[in-house]
Amino acid sequence: MHPQLETLLEIQDLKTQRRELQETASERAMQEEVFNLGADQAIVQLDEKIAEMEDTLPTLTRNRYNRIASRYERVMVPVIGGTCYGCFVSVPTALSSDADRNNEVRACQNCGRFLYLID
Amino acid sequence: MELREFFTEDGINLDLKGETKDEILKELIALLGLDDKSEGILYKMLKRRENLGSTGIGKGIAIPHCRSLVVNRLRVAFGRKPAGVEFKAIDDQPVHNFFLIIAPPLEVSNQYLPVLGKIAQFSKEADVASRLEKLHSPNEFLGLLQEKGV
Repeated sequence: MHPQLETLLEIQDLKTQRRELQETASERAMQEEVFNLGADQAIVQLDEKIAEMEDTLPTLTRNRYNRIASRYERVMVPVIGGTCYGCFVSVPTALSSDADRNNEVRACQNCGRFLYLID
Repeated sequence: MELREFFTEDGINLDLKGETKDEILKELIALLGLDDKSEGILYKMLKRRENLGSTGIGKGIAIPHCRSLVVNRLRVAFGRKPAGVEFKAIDDQPVHNFFLIIAPPLEVSNQYLPVLGKIAQFSKEADVASRLEKLHSPNEFLGLLQEKGV
């Protein structure tokens, strides 16, 4: 996997975690009641980690990342069954069936989001 | 929806070898049968979740969990370490039983929280810890889930 793609994927996973704690009342309640997690403090820690990881992105990728982030909540999305799960438009077959997929940083030609290809 | 539907025998290990929290997390992830890169990413995510606060909920049970792009459907696994492992659990006691839950960021059927809740509910039943301790086979684990009707 391309190292930048791996970083983008981790950032996206952290953002998902943060969003669920911030916006999903049932998730927040579960984390606080079952796991005794201080949700507000956890969000601060996640923000710090996300910012730290964003800073490691090379300038070009970072600029592209920022552009996408200003338009969409999810900057990186999976491609499943040949479909971009950001805009739900099919991606070119050559891309989705590439044996070396995820060895390059690729974006959806329709919505521009970074793509992560999974089976 | 019942918990039994989500577990398979391949995703159950009643004799985890790991001696530390990190080793146990890696063994649990390995039960999902993902590629090495995905395993590595999941490990980092689970570690980050544990750094926010332990998922050891007491009574010898932990439920490591996260959402990640590396899976395209909800995945679960169960592991048991009879001798127990220090996991910084809520009750400061060693953890013997581990339920791993990984879900994609977006789920059509939204199963992640209900599954997490059901496992937490199951874990809190008075006889569950002792019943888990006595299991001899993955099939018995599946039977216990079925019997409890969670």
